[in-house]
Amino acid sequence: MTIEDEKFFAWLDGELPPDEAAQVQAEVAKSPELTRATEQHRALQARLKGAFDTVAESPVPEGLRPRAKVIDFAAAKRARARGHWESPAQWAAMAATLALGIFAGTMMSPGSRGPVEVHGGKLYAAAALNHALDTELASAPGNAPVRVGLTFRDSSGALCRTFTDPQSSGVACRDGLRWQLRGLFAAPEGQGGAYRMAGGMDPNLAALVDSTMSGDPLNAAQEKAARARGWK
Amino acid sequence: MDRSNSFEEQLGALLPRLRRFAHALSGDAADADDLTQGTVERALRSSAQWQPGTRLDSWTYRIMRNLWIDTARARSRKVKMEAPPEEAEGVGEDPRASMDAALDLKRMMAAMERLPDEQREVVALILIEGFGYREVCEMLDLPMGTVSSRLVRGRTRLLAMVGEQ
Repeated sequence: MTIEDEKFFAWLDGELPPDEAAQVQAEVAKSPELTRATEQHRALQARLKGAFDTVAESPVPEGLRPRAKVIDFAAAKRARARGHWESPAQWAAMAATLALGIFAGTMMSPGSRGPVEVHGGKLYAAAALNHALDTELASAPGNAPVRVGLTFRDSSGALCRTFTDPQSSGVACRDGLRWQLRGLFAAPEGQGGAYRMAGGMDPNLAALVDSTMSGDPLNAAQEKAARARGWK
Repeated sequence: MDRSNSFEEQLGALLPRLRRFAHALSGDAADADDLTQGTVERALRSSAQWQPGTRLDSWTYRIMRNLWIDTARARSRKVKMEAPPEEAEGVGEDPRASMDAALDLKRMMAAMERLPDEQREVVALILIEGFGYREVCEMLDLPMGTVSSRLVRGRTRLLAMVGEQ
């Protein structure tokens, strides 16, 4: 070819700026060899695209569809206990469904106290986090910066709650009159607030919840009753 | 309010294209659907890393391509031991064969499979999926010169394999 290959194909693919494209076009018009190459490669692409388009035009197998499953954490946990819950798809679906109870909050107000404090070597929720765990209902989310997701009991019978704020997510369980943190996971870098929350529960948190939870999570009525009893 | 449904819906809408790309990469329909499924799972798990407002298709194609590289490494060892080399040589040699679309897909998949991985992905993204050179550079983290030279070699080789039928 009289034109270098890269340039010829860039022209063929419509990638050249108009003035250069016009030059190549003129070269091609003069050269039977280039004209033939143009035809052959256009035919090749049409055939290639036509062949693979049959895939895109055929129905997608049902098993491939991503779906938001109905929240059934306990059933999933039981299934896993039987050894039937190994697929990452199920994990992902679980994480996605858990997020349904967690809604985007406003940013934590600047100057507020940190959300965590240490007593006797244990980490406890403080300030806005403590307040949210004490008062927020996943079934009736308000405007608090911290949102509560699931409420459940651990194997000792203590009530635990998952939470999400713009910077982190975690799980805390009742220890006397305080909420002791069992896990706290930072939001991925550069992903704050609403965007992150839309993505679903942090897989680390989901795994921790799964290993901590005993029985079924509380439903809306049970959650409300537990709050009325002071989370005992 | 909750955006996880819309993420899944958008991902679902991409499935036909993702399957097409998977077929171009993997050379085998069953492997292609495994790759598509793996990509959907990985995309759901990493959905927090997708920046809304950016293109979900490029982001997901990139996941598929990376997953394919991961699995292709393991698979290539297996294929080398199992597949007799002459099987691949018979690609579309019968010019009287029907141009039936399904048959032609098989042939094109077999021809694509004979390209080196780095040429195959570029050919698939540009000639089949219709991405621009620049978009492919970004998706694959490659300079323009590399993308365009791989494209030249890949399509030239492909034409030599299937061109005269």
